[in-house]
Amino acid sequence: MKKNFWLLGLMLLMLSVFLVACGTDKEGGDNSSTPSTDGQDNTDGDKTEDAKPQILVFGRGGDSVSLDPAIVTDGESYKVTQNLFETLLNFGEEDTTIHPGLATEWDISEDGLTYTFQLQEGVKFHDGTDFNAEAVVKNVNRWKGGTEEDFYYFNSMFKAEGQDIIADVKAEGDYTVVFTLSRQQAPFLKNLAMSPFGIASPTAFEAAGDKFGDNPVGTGPFKFVDWKRNDSITIEKFADYWQEGLPKLDKVIFRSIPDNSARLNDLVAGNIDLADGINPSDGKVIEADSKLQLIERPSMNIGYLGLTSTRKPFDNKLVRQAVNYAIDKQAIVDAFFEGRAQVAKNPMPPSISGYNDDIEGYPYDPEKAKALLAEAGYDGAPIELWAMPVPRPYMPDGAKVAEVIQKNLEDIGMPAKIVTYEWATYLDKAKDGEADAFMLGWTGDNGDADNFIYTLLDEDNIGSNNYSYFKNAETHKLLIQAQSETDENVRIELYKKAQEIIHEEAPWVPLAHSTPLLAAKAEVKGFIPHPTGSDKLTNVSIE
Amino acid sequence: MSEIASKTSINLAQEDQVVGPWKEAWRSFRKNKSALVGTAIVIFFVLLAILGPFIAPQGINDQNLSQRLLPPSSEFWFGTDDLGRDIFSRILHGARISLTVGFFAVVISAAAGSFLGIIAGYYGKWIDTIISRIFDIMLAFPSILLAIAVVSILGPSLRNALIAIAIINIPNFGRLIRSRVLSIKEEEYIHAAKAIGMKNARILWRHILPNSMTPVIVQGTLAIATAIIEAAALGFLGLGAEAPQPEWGKMLADARIFLLNAPWAMIFPGLAIMLTVVGFNLMGDGLRDALDPKMKS
Repeated sequence: MKKNFWLLGLMLLMLSVFLVACGTDKEGGDNSSTPSTDGQDNTDGDKTEDAKPQILVFGRGGDSVSLDPAIVTDGESYKVTQNLFETLLNFGEEDTTIHPGLATEWDISEDGLTYTFQLQEGVKFHDGTDFNAEAVVKNVNRWKGGTEEDFYYFNSMFKAEGQDIIADVKAEGDYTVVFTLSRQQAPFLKNLAMSPFGIASPTAFEAAGDKFGDNPVGTGPFKFVDWKRNDSITIEKFADYWQEGLPKLDKVIFRSIPDNSARLNDLVAGNIDLADGINPSDGKVIEADSKLQLIERPSMNIGYLGLTSTRKPFDNKLVRQAVNYAIDKQAIVDAFFEGRAQVAKNPMPPSISGYNDDIEGYPYDPEKAKALLAEAGYDGAPIELWAMPVPRPYMPDGAKVAEVIQKNLEDIGMPAKIVTYEWATYLDKAKDGEADAFMLGWTGDNGDADNFIYTLLDEDNIGSNNYSYFKNAETHKLLIQAQSETDENVRIELYKKAQEIIHEEAPWVPLAHSTPLLAAKAEVKGFIPHPTGSDKLTNVSIE
Repeated sequence: MSEIASKTSINLAQEDQVVGPWKEAWRSFRKNKSALVGTAIVIFFVLLAILGPFIAPQGINDQNLSQRLLPPSSEFWFGTDDLGRDIFSRILHGARISLTVGFFAVVISAAAGSFLGIIAGYYGKWIDTIISRIFDIMLAFPSILLAIAVVSILGPSLRNALIAIAIINIPNFGRLIRSRVLSIKEEEYIHAAKAIGMKNARILWRHILPNSMTPVIVQGTLAIATAIIEAAALGFLGLGAEAPQPEWGKMLADARIFLLNAPWAMIFPGLAIMLTVVGFNLMGDGLRDALDPKMKS
């Protein structure tokens, strides 16, 4: 028997040697690509400063769905496309005010129906095609020509009640584009600045067709190099970028590391330079580490539990309300967000104008929930509770929160089975209305109430971003009216009213508005997190 | 018939004078200290599996989010996990899950493996070729990979994990039995049985099966240990037990992100897995030493 113990010891030894070997291997590989942060570097830092390779490895929670911004809706795709493509208008560095982008100036007609844009001259796409008015027209016509299946976002933002809001777009000369709207749209400029409406090279998308997302071509500061699915996306500096001296980085590698802790470990070990999706519980540790910096993204999101209103038992309003009473939101926020979040009561965050603070959130009241279920005649049939497989900025640990929700539901007599799929499949299936109850969230794209309430809960967006299949004639009327209303105060009132109805109808359980955390090595400079979650890396450098 | 009857009675008579094989095995097993320790551990965990749910101080899913990740104390012997559940209670419940999966997975694979192995070994020819090649194909895959594939097809759940583990272990038993059968069927008593016109089925059932069981018992005990690890691995990967089942591997997976600030959430399920596995391995080794005639000094 003694022999066996020796054997066990020997095997353990071999295993540890093997693991150690693996560890050094990775570090070795990394040292060649990114600078190390040890003391030696600092002492002779003056000499080596210039030599620091300008390569940023960005660790994130999931892979992109596609790199054609027009066809996706997920943040992981935009995180990359935001650096490959540019939009006509840009948001402010840290907010959603409107700034020039590919368009330098714009002019709005008296009736609010004609927008004239002057374009930046001397801009080239990565494939050498010239950027001009013709290219913009081709892009808009591409989006207009597609169905909801093709371009979810365009349909969701620029179509209402089946009608195109952009009636016509035409080029006047090489650098002037005129948009004619079929009716007024208050957030029109903000909508145009959203990541999905990055201008793509017409030569490239005409040639590539459906495959454009595999080989995206834009005018952005970086151009696409390589995509290893579920592993990494590499983009490199575009030498002919129109803004002199930018970008500062030579290369950016987006690596998918689904596990939050593993990603943080990689950052600590120096395998990556920047990590998003930091667990709120790790915030303090990072703040205490002088080699790292903690970065707080301005909050503009909502994490929610959607209740598909076309499926039993959630086709009954009382059941949906019961679930709202059943879930202990405060406990979830306290336990999983470490105070870096606010309990949600409306489908949009308080930072956005139009937020209705007069609404009382559903309190945690299991007894009331049971009474409502009894009134609704719920038969105790089990439901599927879908939990997202990847950490999201609005929900750091979906699987764990799902377990709490499962327990909350069990307490009111609603058995739930936790179900999860790979992220792209999850979104697809939820979009098709296959989930009973699903966890999801939303980070605002343009800082407008329309981008939350209309995008997520209007009948026009069933099949795109309205995953809960919520349909209500009254809110629909209010939301459409708010879109074409240009008086800001009237708009606010309309949105407040819509929130009251939504509160009563309870298509979701709003859970939390979080402050997403990122962490970077101390030598990463110039990174400014954007509230939309899509960060431009143009000004980032490694010092 | 009478010949056989008299043969058995001779055997019985001999056993009284000489020490019988089972008795001798027990003697040698008793002398083996580590085997006894292993057996004690196994009995301990079997008792836990039977009694655990009754003696656990708390339910498996009694969440209390205000008591997350508390260190071990007199109230929570093994501390609490990230949902404020009592880890001690969950480990007690988990013993039943792990042992059930380990035991039934091995019983199923031993039964199926023995059946296929006997057929292959006894009938030989093309039946043997087909069965053996299938075993070869299955053994060509790393077993955990095959298990993952099976679970992916069936869908993740504890029952499917059990089935997957049973399936991947079939060839181990099958090949063991087959080689045993190959040697037994050349024994004189089998030739004798054939000579007196005994039917194949009866020979298989009465003579070959009982005589090839010893290695199965040894292999079975050791396989339970492997099966428990495999179940834990599948649970760890999210392919086995579903929330909120207190499966040890899943508990490990859930706790690993708190390794630095709440190590107890990971240490105790890990210890439970390790002890059970060590127990079964020691017992299995002891059994092999005791039962395998070649190992006798």
